[in-house]
Amino acid sequence: MNRRGFLQLIGVTGATTLTASCNRINSVLETSPSPADLVRFPEKTEMILLTDRPPQLETPIHYFRQDLTPNEAFFVRWHLEGIPTSVDLRTFRLNVSGHVRQPLQLTVDELRSQFEPMSIVAVNQCSGNSRSFFEPRVPGGQWRHGAVGNAKWTGVSVKSILDRVEVKSGAVDVSFNGLDAPPLPSVSDFVKALSIDHARDGEVMIAYAMNDAALPMVNGFPLRLVVPGWYGTYWVKALSDITVLPQAFSNFWTDKAYRIPNGPNGTESPKNLAKVTVPINRFNVRSILVRPGPDEVLHSGIPNEIEGIAFDAGHGITRVEVSTDGGATWADARLDSEIGKYSWRRWRAPWTPTSRGQYRLMARATNAIGETQSKEQWNRSGFMWNVIQQVDVNVE
Amino acid sequence: MVPKKKSTVLALGLAALIAGCGRSSNVSNEPDHDMTNATIESIPVSMPDNPVHTIVMPHDEPMFPPGPGREEFVTACVVCHSPRYITMQPRFSRTTWLSEVNKMKDVYGAHISAEQAQKITDYLVSINGQLDTGQAPKGTYGE
Repeated sequence: MNRRGFLQLIGVTGATTLTASCNRINSVLETSPSPADLVRFPEKTEMILLTDRPPQLETPIHYFRQDLTPNEAFFVRWHLEGIPTSVDLRTFRLNVSGHVRQPLQLTVDELRSQFEPMSIVAVNQCSGNSRSFFEPRVPGGQWRHGAVGNAKWTGVSVKSILDRVEVKSGAVDVSFNGLDAPPLPSVSDFVKALSIDHARDGEVMIAYAMNDAALPMVNGFPLRLVVPGWYGTYWVKALSDITVLPQAFSNFWTDKAYRIPNGPNGTESPKNLAKVTVPINRFNVRSILVRPGPDEVLHSGIPNEIEGIAFDAGHGITRVEVSTDGGATWADARLDSEIGKYSWRRWRAPWTPTSRGQYRLMARATNAIGETQSKEQWNRSGFMWNVIQQVDVNVE
Repeated sequence: MVPKKKSTVLALGLAALIAGCGRSSNVSNEPDHDMTNATIESIPVSMPDNPVHTIVMPHDEPMFPPGPGREEFVTACVVCHSPRYITMQPRFSRTTWLSEVNKMKDVYGAHISAEQAQKITDYLVSINGQLDTGQAPKGTYGE
């Protein structure tokens, strides 16, 4: 990019920030990304560019008008500069070792042919999805609502692998490492862990396919951990090492990073930060208003459909309510049929605006155990955003 | 794996990819009944024909303008990540940028002195910062 391009980039960023930061409270109003932010990476379609090295790519929101998010549009988020760009399936091995009797090394073919396959439709959402809507703003990936996707994952359960290697008694945690590597020896390798009981629950799985095709390289080819109902930080990409541990796992990415306040909905106040934090874990309940978007032109007297998605950690979405008057009145949206408990559920509400002017659209989801979305929320890391959205649309 | 069907499956997979996989989904456990030599019935998915799968990452990083601290920034920061990690952020206060730079130094081990951290912070503030408001939250770990 030349200097003029750069200055334009800075100019645009500055202007957006300026506009967006005026008198903002929680549930900030939304704008659409500019087409200039779009970029195309290998095996991917045009995505919203957050960063290029390591890549963080956001899914344009119109893809959420489908049950499954196409592989080429699925969001991308890596931590370390050394991401895998070439994998040789003849030499690649999934190593399973540690506190086990029969350590194992498996090719992808062996994984596919020696273990019972399973498929599950599940949402994967970045811990920091929607971070750019927190006020005051916090550092980190400045995602809008597109660091999330829903896919059919096919692979084998971690349980079946652990059964094969014969876990010794006294196992506590299971750690998962991928092919990505830190740029400096001082940077902690990205490794995450689950408790032995969680890893063996029969739902946590190793996927060799998403939506019936191989994973794109930047989405974790050839294998990816799938942790249904849990935030994406646990879904280790390019999974190469599974280690059973006789003690609690400990590293930077668990002890210092990806932690939330130990309070309701991971919330704290900027002026009174929580003293106790815990590792981020299950999704809270949320909806995303997909359309109409803030830049769509609607016409008085013409029928429209307000539509979106909603999901939680697996209890199931039972109700989505929609408001077209800024929250004064609410009406139930119609829920599409349920795909699976870890899938998102699409919803829609017919709406015919009767007069011209500006309307404030809102949506809130409720799950089977009565959890619903927040009116206010903040934490220092910008995690778990599930504030009720506000989208202003103009009717002509 | 079913070699004789690989090309068909791949074609179907590509078709699904092109079509955007937008069909109504279900949790499919239907076995492939044409399987012959396998003990496990696999779910048909398309896998690459070539055992070596390689991509080439694009390289299009923004060039930052001249200014005090630019040299330190380029040497210490860009070795591990793109300058877009700066332009992606809102216009943070100097306090927040300094906290980010110190995080890189103290937590991730960026090779910079305290003095260089100050110079880099000044540069970041000149690029994408604002005067201190005294209430900006400090950054933290993980994203």
